[in-house]
Amino acid sequence: MNRPVLRRLPALLWLWLLWVLLWSTPSALVIVGGLLVALSVLAVSRFPGVSRQITVRPLRLLALCWRLVANLVVSATAVAWAAVRHGPRVRAAIVEMPLDADSDLLVTLATLLTNVSPGSLVLEIDRRGGVLYVHVLLVVASGEAGEARRKLLANERRLVAALGRDDPDDVPPLPPPPPSTPPSRKDDA
Amino acid sequence: MSVVLDVVSAVLLIGGALFCLLASVGVLRFPDAVCRLHAAAKAQTLGLLMILLGAALQNAPRYAVPLALVALFQLLTIPVTGQIVGRTAYRTSSLSEASLTEDALARRVPPEERLPSPDD
Repeated sequence: MNRPVLRRLPALLWLWLLWVLLWSTPSALVIVGGLLVALSVLAVSRFPGVSRQITVRPLRLLALCWRLVANLVVSATAVAWAAVRHGPRVRAAIVEMPLDADSDLLVTLATLLTNVSPGSLVLEIDRRGGVLYVHVLLVVASGEAGEARRKLLANERRLVAALGRDDPDDVPPLPPPPPSTPPSRKDDA
Repeated sequence: MSVVLDVVSAVLLIGGALFCLLASVGVLRFPDAVCRLHAAAKAQTLGLLMILLGAALQNAPRYAVPLALVALFQLLTIPVTGQIVGRTAYRTSSLSEASLTEDALARRVPPEERLPSPDD
């Protein structure tokens, strides 16, 4: 079996499993139909390859998952309180967050982790420059922009410590730059 | 045992509903689109997860799988919507200038590259 087919096998299995789970009664029709649907979805959609070089360290990953859940509970409570207490008077800041993460999968996870941190939401990802632009609600993050930024960076370090590659020289190649798309303006209107 | 389960379910369902309610309070009261996203992305996500968990405890285990799928896709899609809406809001000058104390993104997207605010 050649490599491209092998690389898409996990996606095929996931889509197939998803179909069967959604029907929740595994009959022969559902199972065969699921395989056909998964195959046709993969045939129609051509996703670009994702650089996913990571090394999993289970204990640190477990600690990170726990942090993720705890962060979600804290940040949901804090933002709910801010809505009631401060409402229209909340202050916000947009901070830059340079990333250690260098593979697509890690950047995605760093974005997710930042999004569940109290008071912060990723506004923009500069994948080439390795920078996240994060919108921080200051009352929720309880402090100044600089302090919020330091906390976010510490979180990201934990992520890289849990999943970063062992061999930092093996830098995955970035996909070719997308064709430059200027911000769409209604010139034709 | 089933009493304990009922109590846990009740706490999760009511707590979840409360978080969804507070999320909508946030959407009403926060000053601009991105601040509102905070309420929708966090309080509402936690509310939904709690409701799903509370519902899963009351049903046969085989119904837990679709509920877990709902939770998974919610968690996967929230950052995507957040980022798309956030980018668009920034580039159409929809952020409330008065409430923004620091703006590092202005170096990457200077004001003249943004569309004027629809309110002007």
